[in-house]
Amino acid sequence: MKEIHELNLAEDVRYTQDHEWARLEGDTVVVGISDFAQDQLGEVVYVELPQVGDTFDKGEEFGSVESVKAVSELYMPVSGEVVAVNEELEGAPDLVNKEPYGAGWMIRVKPEDPAQMDSLLDKDAYLEHLKGLES
Amino acid sequence: MTAPSERKPRPCRLLDIPLLDYREALELQRSLVDARHTGRLDRDVFILVEHPPVFTLGRRGGLENLTVSQEILQRRGIPVVPIERGGNITYHGPGQAVGYPIVHLPSAGWKVVAFVEALEEIMIRAAADFGVSARRDVRNRGVWVQDRKLGSIGIAVRHGVSFHGFALNAVVNLEPFDWVNPCGLRGVQMTSLARETGRRDLDMAAVRRTVLAHTARILGLDFQPADPAWALRQAQPTTDTTSPIMDHLPQRTRS
Repeated sequence: MKEIHELNLAEDVRYTQDHEWARLEGDTVVVGISDFAQDQLGEVVYVELPQVGDTFDKGEEFGSVESVKAVSELYMPVSGEVVAVNEELEGAPDLVNKEPYGAGWMIRVKPEDPAQMDSLLDKDAYLEHLKGLES
Repeated sequence: MTAPSERKPRPCRLLDIPLLDYREALELQRSLVDARHTGRLDRDVFILVEHPPVFTLGRRGGLENLTVSQEILQRRGIPVVPIERGGNITYHGPGQAVGYPIVHLPSAGWKVVAFVEALEEIMIRAAADFGVSARRDVRNRGVWVQDRKLGSIGIAVRHGVSFHGFALNAVVNLEPFDWVNPCGLRGVQMTSLARETGRRDLDMAAVRRTVLAHTARILGLDFQPADPAWALRQAQPTTDTTSPIMDHLPQRTRS
């Protein structure tokens, strides 16, 4: 397991306490999981994503990632409608491990209320949250 | 970071339950996961249980790996329950030691893969106590005696809290496994401690004790026996209004 100082924590995203990230791009929000999450999971072998057009509330489960015989749930950072899913992950789920903030993105959402982004953790607050987990 | 098992044992409630219907055990687990997540429950829980006969399907399905008709199972009164764990179809029955760790993985310092391997290790060491040499196979998870499968594994993680777990075949009737391709693998032969040792009179209570001892050591847990009444209080209905059973049947299979 990576030490906290070894983690790659992107600056241009906001984080949830459940280790998803959200990046505002124009009027949509891209969602994936953090370097901590992918490291914690180990090799991702399958990503279950929603359908385009599905809507979810903030905090609701939108999919799951499967690593070795373990299914971990994914939660929405903000409420909104799914406008795209990363279809590359079907054939290459390990992109989540390799490029968690890039090619390993999961869904693109049209947020119901973009101000919800402000309620998410910035990098420093997320780092504090990670340190708190190790007690 | 030191391996969790090398640290001071964490307090953990132990629910040592002789026999419980699979679906009731599932509801209990979900309630405990919810309580652990919200903080109502301040420590981990380990459930050791046996189930009346039941087939369960993993998140990626597995009905296609049922090789007898569902009517046959219905006639015998064996339910088929789709659930959220990893893995494919499997069977549970009395004489199988089933362990469900409700553990908050990040605070315990567990990486998911390491946790799955630790659950395999519990079964390997328990088997060794009965003179059975079992091993893991990184391509086909679970615990094996040569090419025969002795124990199965599959967990789910909700808000960092694990549930589902492992199932070690001790004296369980192996015939129902012939009605499926267990875990989606064709031609896999299942085995049990009783079959490997040739001891039909293998003491299930001894198996359960051994499993508990290794679980405590390997997961780094300090067991505090809890009474069933306590567990039932935790199992108050959750806010989940959808049917947890049939609504989650996955429609997609892996290509």
